[in-house]
Amino acid sequence: MEIELTEREFMYPGHVGCPGCGAAIAMRFVLKALGEKMMMVMPACCWSVIAGPYPTSTLKIPVIHSAFETGGATASGVRAALDMKGDTETTVVTWAGDGGTFDIGFQALSGAVERNEDFIYVCYDNEAYMNTGIQRSSSTPYGAWTTTTPGKDWKKMRKKNIVEALVAHRIPYAATASISHPEDLIRKVQKAKSIKGSRFLHIFASCPTGWKIPSEMAVKIARMAVQTNIFPLYEVEDGLHYTINLKPKRFPVREYFKIQGRFQHLTDQDLEVIQKMVDDDWALLLRKAGEHA
Amino acid sequence: MKQVLEGSQAVAEAVRLARVQVISAYPITPQTHIVEFLSDYCATGKMNAKFLRVESEHSCMAALIGAQSTGVRTFTATSGQGLALMHELLHWASGARLPIVMAEVNRALAPGWNIWVDQTDSLAQRDTGWIQFYCEDSQEVIDTTLQAYKLAESVALPVMVVLDAFFLSHTYEPVDLPEQEEADRFLPPYEARFELDTKNPCTFGPLVPPAVYMEMRHDMAAAMDTALTNFARIEDEFEQIFGRRYGAVEAIACDDAEIVFVTSGTVTSTARLVLENLRARGEKLGILKIKLFRPFPFEFIRKALKGAKKVAVIDRNFSFGASGIFAQEVRAALCNAEVHAPVFGYIAGIGGRDVTPEVLEEIYWKTKNNAVPERESVWIGLQEVRHGN
Amino acid sequence: MAQKSQAQLTAENPIHIMPRSTQSTEANKTGSWRYLRPRYEEKTAPCSAACPAGEDIGKIEMLTTQGLFKEAWETILRENPFPGVCGRVCFHPCEGACNRGEFDDAIAIHSIERFLADTAERNDLKPLLERLPSRPEKVAIAGAGPSGLAAAWFLTLLGYTCDVFEASAEAGGILRWGIPLYRLPLTALRREIAQIEAQGVRIHTGRPVTADFLKDLERSYQAVYLACGHARTTALRVPGEEMDGVGDGLKFLEKVRNGEPPPVTGVCAVIGGGNTAVDVARSIVRLGGEALILYRRRRRDMPAFGDEVQMALEEGVKLTELVAPARVEKDGGRYVVTLRQMKVTGEEGGRGRVEPDDDKTIEVVVDRLFKATGAEAAEGWHNPPAADTGTLALSHCTLATRDGRNTLAWGGDLTNDIKSVVHAVASGKQAAIALDTLFREGPDAILPKFDACVVGNGPSLSMEVYMGGERRLRNRHVVSYGEINTDYFRYAPRMTQPRLVREERVRTFTEIDLRVSGNIAMREAERCFNCGLCNQCDNCHLFCPDLSVIHDQSAQGRHINYDYCKGCGLCVVECPRNAMTLEEEIR
Repeated sequence: MEIELTEREFMYPGHVGCPGCGAAIAMRFVLKALGEKMMMVMPACCWSVIAGPYPTSTLKIPVIHSAFETGGATASGVRAALDMKGDTETTVVTWAGDGGTFDIGFQALSGAVERNEDFIYVCYDNEAYMNTGIQRSSSTPYGAWTTTTPGKDWKKMRKKNIVEALVAHRIPYAATASISHPEDLIRKVQKAKSIKGSRFLHIFASCPTGWKIPSEMAVKIARMAVQTNIFPLYEVEDGLHYTINLKPKRFPVREYFKIQGRFQHLTDQDLEVIQKMVDDDWALLLRKAGEHA
Repeated sequence: MKQVLEGSQAVAEAVRLARVQVISAYPITPQTHIVEFLSDYCATGKMNAKFLRVESEHSCMAALIGAQSTGVRTFTATSGQGLALMHELLHWASGARLPIVMAEVNRALAPGWNIWVDQTDSLAQRDTGWIQFYCEDSQEVIDTTLQAYKLAESVALPVMVVLDAFFLSHTYEPVDLPEQEEADRFLPPYEARFELDTKNPCTFGPLVPPAVYMEMRHDMAAAMDTALTNFARIEDEFEQIFGRRYGAVEAIACDDAEIVFVTSGTVTSTARLVLENLRARGEKLGILKIKLFRPFPFEFIRKALKGAKKVAVIDRNFSFGASGIFAQEVRAALCNAEVHAPVFGYIAGIGGRDVTPEVLEEIYWKTKNNAVPERESVWIGLQEVRHGN
Repeated sequence: MAQKSQAQLTAENPIHIMPRSTQSTEANKTGSWRYLRPRYEEKTAPCSAACPAGEDIGKIEMLTTQGLFKEAWETILRENPFPGVCGRVCFHPCEGACNRGEFDDAIAIHSIERFLADTAERNDLKPLLERLPSRPEKVAIAGAGPSGLAAAWFLTLLGYTCDVFEASAEAGGILRWGIPLYRLPLTALRREIAQIEAQGVRIHTGRPVTADFLKDLERSYQAVYLACGHARTTALRVPGEEMDGVGDGLKFLEKVRNGEPPPVTGVCAVIGGGNTAVDVARSIVRLGGEALILYRRRRRDMPAFGDEVQMALEEGVKLTELVAPARVEKDGGRYVVTLRQMKVTGEEGGRGRVEPDDDKTIEVVVDRLFKATGAEAAEGWHNPPAADTGTLALSHCTLATRDGRNTLAWGGDLTNDIKSVVHAVASGKQAAIALDTLFREGPDAILPKFDACVVGNGPSLSMEVYMGGERRLRNRHVVSYGEINTDYFRYAPRMTQPRLVREERVRTFTEIDLRVSGNIAMREAERCFNCGLCNQCDNCHLFCPDLSVIHDQSAQGRHINYDYCKGCGLCVVECPRNAMTLEEEIR
């Protein structure tokens, strides 16, 4: 792979992420892409714990932990203060999980984006409330087991499309990215850095613990999500211009579902339904990008 | 300079004089005028500050926590439901040791919707680690707001300046508005003890295990205690420049009083009128106005009430399942004194019900004519309301 | 004044403790969580295991990709002194084993090998190879063919003095006197022989090793390696075989190589199905004749390289399958060859089993007939003895240790089942290692020593490993296609080596396969998975969630920080080429 990435690390080892934690990989990439002139707002999420307990922190940049709902709002305040101090170089980044973005944090995010606050909001998505023990969020995909969607009550609602929700705000820049495609992810982070106003990155960050897969499969499973069009890589500028970054060979979704413990209960029929949903969503995305299936 | 200002504008002017840098507010009656004035000052350049038009009060406090942590002076105002919504983050602001100042307009809590004065909203936040001042008039609001910044920054705890809905927020009064130069002499520019700084990175608010959390809370408790002494020193400085002081409590005619009213907010000014009337008729009434509620000025209260034969606390609030909150706190202050007067608790003026001189007289006579309180709290002025269910 | 009082107030009210972290998490050694431990461990690529000379092919391709052509070339020379030859004439079993073949197309390993040799030639490169200190023993070698010259090469690297005795006027054996120029130009061959001499090997041409000369050699040399090859064509054993018009295929090729091609106008039949038969046929075409190959089995059973057969047919060579000679009779100036027709009665060892189809026969009339049905040792005593005490029969050579006398060894076509150049090189290497072990430690140490330097599951040996090079650290496990993470590779077609077109080919003996540019060679080498080898792709460092893969100045370029490594295994899975291993953590 050809990536131009600084050799510098902005994290220390010794953090308490699970072995194979996709969120740790995502953080490492984003920090490297943004550099040291950044401040991070971190509402409650796995990383609130991963960062380590008082008096330590795994992050070498300034961080403010904040309450669960407040990712968008706290960042707005940090940005306003920096502006008042005349600091035009420091990037404000909110680093939130899917809970703090899709659900409890959605209001603050929507408010901040509607005001076009000048910050980058990064949602690392492990598709459930993992920090509190694998409970369902609106980001949990259709078909998944979680502790609050157990047994036959597996999640029968679709995964909320957060990027589309923000695109409706005419956000200057929104993009999806995956830990399995680092060049694409880093390019998008660097592109986001150069844009003013609200920018949103939705990073697919696999969770071996919550998805019941072996830790060594974390990157591979993220790659499979992209290759099956379950998690397409695309960008939207100004809420209008769609660019699809990768058009994979359309691998069937079956393989992706079969190797994850959280999907073990799905029957062949369920998988057919899911395949159709994925195909329809992909066709919709193509239309938005002005292309045809 | 003497001006006639609406109470809300008095707040806004004090915020301007304090050179606040980031304001974030969400409108709720009857705080709206404060927000509108500040919005206007920022837009016209009368104030050099950023105004964040957040989408809820919870986000409001979150934004200020973010801004203050980045090293600037901040302000917000809210009321009733808004304050209740902020509750989680009030705890956060004090735990984070951020000297945020907030104007809180006392308003009743829903349901049903009631925009009028009631102290339950602010008192329900008495455990959050915020310093609380209850103001009687617009002058006090201006002075207290300026002092609030100095006090907050000296102990690294946030301060709530509480004023009554409509009676203060929407009433025009003549006030002596300080000049900017005087205000600057009293209150220097903000210097943060700690801030988010790329040159000196650190992490605020990490996971804290039981081994150290207790010590952090103790530090806050100690800071609250210090706030009490600091306030007196700050009032000294304020008096030197502006010629005014208020005290954590104000004891009016308490030395020879047999019955002492304990009041707060605008009820105090009504009580002053009733005091004059009753004293003129030979009744030995005194008033103890409580301005500083948190930290609770135990010693001042014990001292002021030492000679009283009876204490009548007037609460424009209620803690369900217990009693009026000021009464609870006064009882607690007195209970370990060797000798203390019985404390009669009265509930009046709930949800904007007027506390007239007649109401206060009723309270006086009830107190005088009963040897001991008939119950924990006596509700004054209850009516039989008969409308269909 | 306000400033001062505020500063005083603040100083008097310090915060003793608050929720704010200023230390790193480095004190938390998360390595204690681990129950599996990753480590860098290179393994064996299937190509190198399939190569009879055990060339470190994955490494060669990696170096070529990096533009390190000299280093890549030297890597070949450590295991095989004939890259220019093998890159042209080897049957490349490596390509059959190539894992990339299951992904899209196998790597054109032979093209790259040839390119590297051509590059060395064009730039007149001199190799810098490891050599062991000089040893007193001297070895005589009979026959300067691929096996003998390879043995001399390896023995010289091991520190021995070698004298090669060659009967003919020039060294090379089958390379000089058998394989036609259009497959192997003289310059390429001469260069590699000169390179062998440059290492210190002395080649004495015009010195045939007779039985008597052998006795002399036995007195002055501690060992004699007999690599005389199979110089005599096997007889057809049919009536009429002795006639003038029935020639020896090998002798024909020799004459052509000597610049004295016999006249072959008219129809010339060639009996046989191996490379020699095809070489003879294609040479005939180039000399103006019509060639007809007569083979007892089917085309697909022919031992000759399929590519050669294809080109032969394109060049106009005719092929008659399922015929065997019965007798040859003269008819005026021409010859009538009676052929028994054969039929296939089953499959056996990958080839058809044939027997005569009743008494059916056909006749062909030809102007000349060449025998190319196989070869055998020119003298009976060239052959190795039967297994006996004191005789060690190894996979590619035989050793006879005799008390009180020197050692005799045999290799090349004399001992090998598969008679090819690369197998001959394997013989030379095996003999060199066996003799070195024999001299230093004795005969019992030979098999254990072989075990210690085998590539994959054998029988190929690695001289680099034997001499203690870095390759000895490689795990024997042969990497299979399933162990490659193909997510990191895109489909890319195999290179095409340009070739003379048919019209150009049939006129001359000019080399058919043309040179390729460095660009083409590097791009092809880049397709190589480098199975089991670390090519510094840095995926491990990139994906480690615990920052436990640390860049350093070591040869590996990185190491694992076991203080923090949690053993998640991501590095091992994301290594595209299985150059890491995950094993149980032992505490």
